[in-house]
Formats: sequence, structure tokens, C-alpha cells
Amino acid sequence: MTSHLTATGRVWKLPDDVSSDALISANHVFDYDPRVLRKHLLHEVRPELAGEARAGDILVAGRRFAHGSQHSHPFIAMKEIGLGLLAVRLTRAPYRISVYMGVPFLEIAAAEYDAIEDGETLDVDYRAGIVRQIARGIETRVQPLAPFVLDIISAGGGLPFIRDKVRGDIQVR
Amino acid sequence: MPSTLVEKILANAGGRECVQPGEVIWATPDLTTMPEVSYPAYVKRLADIGVDTLANPQRIVVAIDHETPAHSVAAAERNRLTRQLAVKMHVGHLFDGEGITHPLTVERGLVLPGMFVAGADTHTPGLGGVGALAMPFGIEVTMIMATGQIWLKVPETIRVRVHGTLPAGVSARDIVLHAMRVIGPDEANERVVEYSGDTIGQLSVPERMTISGLTVDMGADAGLVPADALTLAYLRDAGVPEPQMVRGDDDAHYAHTIDVDARALEPLVSIPPSPTHVRNATALDDIAIQHAYIGSCASGSLAELRAAAALLKGRKVHDGVQLLVIPATRRVHEQAMAEGVLGTLMAAGAQIAPSTCGPCFGGLAQLAPGDVRISTSTRNDPGRMGSADARIYLASALTVAASALAGHIADPRDYLQESAS
Repeated sequence: MTSHLTATGRVWKLPDDVSSDALISANHVFDYDPRVLRKHLLHEVRPELAGEARAGDILVAGRRFAHGSQHSHPFIAMKEIGLGLLAVRLTRAPYRISVYMGVPFLEIAAAEYDAIEDGETLDVDYRAGIVRQIARGIETRVQPLAPFVLDIISAGGGLPFIRDKVRGDIQVR
Repeated sequence: MPSTLVEKILANAGGRECVQPGEVIWATPDLTTMPEVSYPAYVKRLADIGVDTLANPQRIVVAIDHETPAHSVAAAERNRLTRQLAVKMHVGHLFDGEGITHPLTVERGLVLPGMFVAGADTHTPGLGGVGALAMPFGIEVTMIMATGQIWLKVPETIRVRVHGTLPAGVSARDIVLHAMRVIGPDEANERVVEYSGDTIGQLSVPERMTISGLTVDMGADAGLVPADALTLAYLRDAGVPEPQMVRGDDDAHYAHTIDVDARALEPLVSIPPSPTHVRNATALDDIAIQHAYIGSCASGSLAELRAAAALLKGRKVHDGVQLLVIPATRRVHEQAMAEGVLGTLMAAGAQIAPSTCGPCFGGLAQLAPGDVRISTSTRNDPGRMGSADARIYLASALTVAASALAGHIADPRDYLQESAS
């Protein structure tokens, strides 16, 4: 289940250094259809994910997630499926693309990453920065995203945010 | 509160007294640049959500630089659409085949010290050569087009101070490649690298642009060189009546400071598959090349063309090596022609093409499987210049020229010594 910024779902744990091209092969670079791209997400790394992942599920990634190509495609696919992301620090490009595509995420510490297991169920409040490991009753607080950034993600990403902002400006006048 | 140049620029762009690294702010760019390969697509995306006017069209620069002269029907369509939409949306500056955006906006005096500039193109940070903070935002420039603003996290600043006279055969590219060796991607992330020191002070603005622009390839947000008297003189020549100095505070806090002894630097080369894989040119003399390219936003400057011409004068490129030279802008082309630089390069066997990004992104002079090129361009990812089975090495114009003579990667100092003797 997901309502933009809170979600309950299973963990898909990924190692360090999952590159942008490993998330979605560069062969699909000219394809922007979210319904097509969702079928290719993590095809090489977790081939069962595309068929089994549900809205609210969470990718839990190590360091340098989505490094390399600065493609929006993996994030288009994540948005389409309804996935959120916990990652051990995101570099600038994936951080910004995730916001622009409206994919909710939190940055976590390496120790927090180590404590999360593949397949377990998490309850994540992206707005407040709270990660609950349901079965074990553990609650971890991490740095939430800046309010500006949350506004963009909760609007559904950069383009819907722009639309709302421009419309808002018109109403004010 | 003392501030670095980057913090001062972002405080100003964010309408604040001061900003701290890590803060997320909304900033208003003084200028936003984008190429024709992006602009019509961005206008369409905005139209799709009902936005059909630009917030600050006079601050938008659109340059037809990637696919000029057009080499396909699709490119010709994109160029035509760009021209039409530039007029329709009232953009402040349309450059049509005048050269590559980054050197072009600087030579036309549009970029000033202390400006905050946003660009769709990855190598927008080249504008840091005049002491501006210029950052790449890709498709997110749509947000600036629609609202005039962009959000960003205020980066920390790393200070690189370079001291001493550069040895003969060593140039601006070698300084930034050396910095890539010292500063790893994790360290560069969400930081800007500020270059200073007497070595940097002696470099021309285009050479400072080489360093600033390529800094993005180490994983940093941007590079920049604070303005000095040389910057202001350059801008006055470019037609700016009273350019102003904007610099950081002497007691500002830096993430850290790295001191570099220029006298110890050597000619360096980025080997595939990444610009950050840096080796000494002397260690690569077993790499045969068939193609050599001098050009791009990073190195299509008069300084680089002159350096190559000085080394190639009276010599011929190796049999079987294709040397292609592309001045970065029409003005550089004209100056190089007037000075006899192009004549010297052609006499050595170079082909000269009109100003374009062309080869840098595989739009012109593509490579076949197995081909090897040494190039002054920006990226060497597999497939960047055509076949994914071609190999691309990146170096200064001097190292590329020496390699074109040798038929393999070569150290330019070997040829400079021969010239002197």
C-alpha cells in the first residue's frame, strides 16, 4: 500500500554499485513508455522483481545506487510500479532524477542498510524519515528529505509540480 | 559569516543573506542554457502540462550546436523546430551554428563573475572559467523554463591551489586530470571544486574553462576559478563595459584544501571507460591510434589550437592517422584562420570542420569497431563516438597532436625537445 509518502511493502535488497545500466539496460534508452520499462527493471540482477513487485515495495540499495549513465528510465519504471527507495547515500544525479520522477526515497546509514533483510516487510514514512521493521518491531529514524523536495515528490514529480506551481501563481494573481 | 564564492553566489541567487552547505534552497539562475537536441522536446513537455509561456525568456540561451551542420533529416527537423520555437517563446538568445554553447556564451560576454547559470548540458560548468557557478540540470531545466527557479542543495567547496610554472608540454587539461586522480568520486559528490594559485592565475579564460568544465567528470557539481584582473580584461575585450569582481571571503570554510605543485605535473591521459581512469602519457606508448580529434567545449579554444599548431608545424601526421580539428566557435575559427594556425594544421594533414559538438557525442566522425581515437573531448564511455567496440582516450591538444605524429599515444615533451634542438 502506498499513499505517496507512506508505504508498507516488502524489501528488495540490492548490493552496492548497482549501476543505472544494470537497473535498466541501455538498450531501452529510446523507450519512455512506463508500462514497457517496468518489465525491464532489474532484469539482470533480480529477474523475478518485475513480475512480483507491488506498489509500496521498497528497494533497499547500498552505495552508489544508479551510478554511471544519468538516465531517467529506472526511475520511470520505479514510479510506474510504485516502488520507494532506501539507499546508502545517493549521488547528485540519481538524487535529483528520483525527485524529478516523483519516486520517494530516504538516505540511510551503512549500519541501517546492513540491518535490513531481503524479503522482510517495512513500514516507511518518507515524510517523517521513519523506517519500521514490522516483524522485529524495530523503528529507525533517519534524516527526512527537505520540505521543498517532499513537495515535489508528493506532487508526483517535477512536471506535475511545475503545473501546480504555475496554476497556483495564476490563482494568486 | 565568511562564505566561499559558491556560497555567496547561491545566497544571491536564493535571495538570502547567506547559505550553509547542505541547505536546500530555491535559486533563480541568471542564465539558463540548452542545446537544440533538448529544447524542442522540453517545450513540448511543458506544453503537455499546459505551460506555454517561459518565466524569464530573456534569460534563456538556446544554441544549435550538437547537430550543425545537420546530418540527417531528423536533425534538420529538430533544428528547424528549434528556430521556430525560439522565436515563438521569445528566448533571449538563439545561436544558430555559431559554435558550442559554453565557449560561445563566455566569448559573447553573457556570463559574468558571480552569476549562477543552469544548463541542460552536462559540461555547463565550463562557464566557471570566468568565476560563475554553472551547474548541469538536464531535463530539470524545464522547471526553470516554467517557473524561473530551480531547487538545489548548497554544495561544500573543495579548494585546489596550484603553484609554480607548468613544465613545457603540460597544459590545463593535465591539471584537471591530476585533480581527478587526487579527488575520488565519493569525495567530489555534492561539492564544487574551486581552483586558485599562481599557476591558475597565469592561465587564459579558455584554459580555465577546460579545467572548470572537466571537473564535472570527477563527480563534482561544478568547477570554478574565481575572477581576477585577467578575467575582467577578457570580459572587457568581449564587450562587457564594466565587469565586476566577485570572490569568496579569505577566511571561508572549505571542505578541504589540496595543494598541487605544477612543476611536478606530467602529460596525462584518461583511458577507457571513464575520464577518471588517468594514466601518464609515457606509460601508454604501446597504444596504436588511427584517429585523433582536437575540439569540443573543453578544448576547441584558440589556446589549444595554437598549442597543437606549434607542435605540428613543419611535420606530418603519421600515415593512417585521421586528424580532425574543430574550432569551438566561429570566432575561434576566424581567429585561427587569420593567425595562420589552421594553415599550419592543414599542412600537417588535419581536416578542419565547422564549429559543432559533433564527434564528442557521436554525431560526426563516428568510429568503427576496433578503432582507437585520442581526443580532447569530454567523455570516453563505450559507444560515445559510434561503435561500443571502439576505444577513446582523452588528453590535451598537445598530447593528441604528438600522438597523431607518432601513430600511437605519445608524450608531447618528446616532440617539444626535438623542436628546441
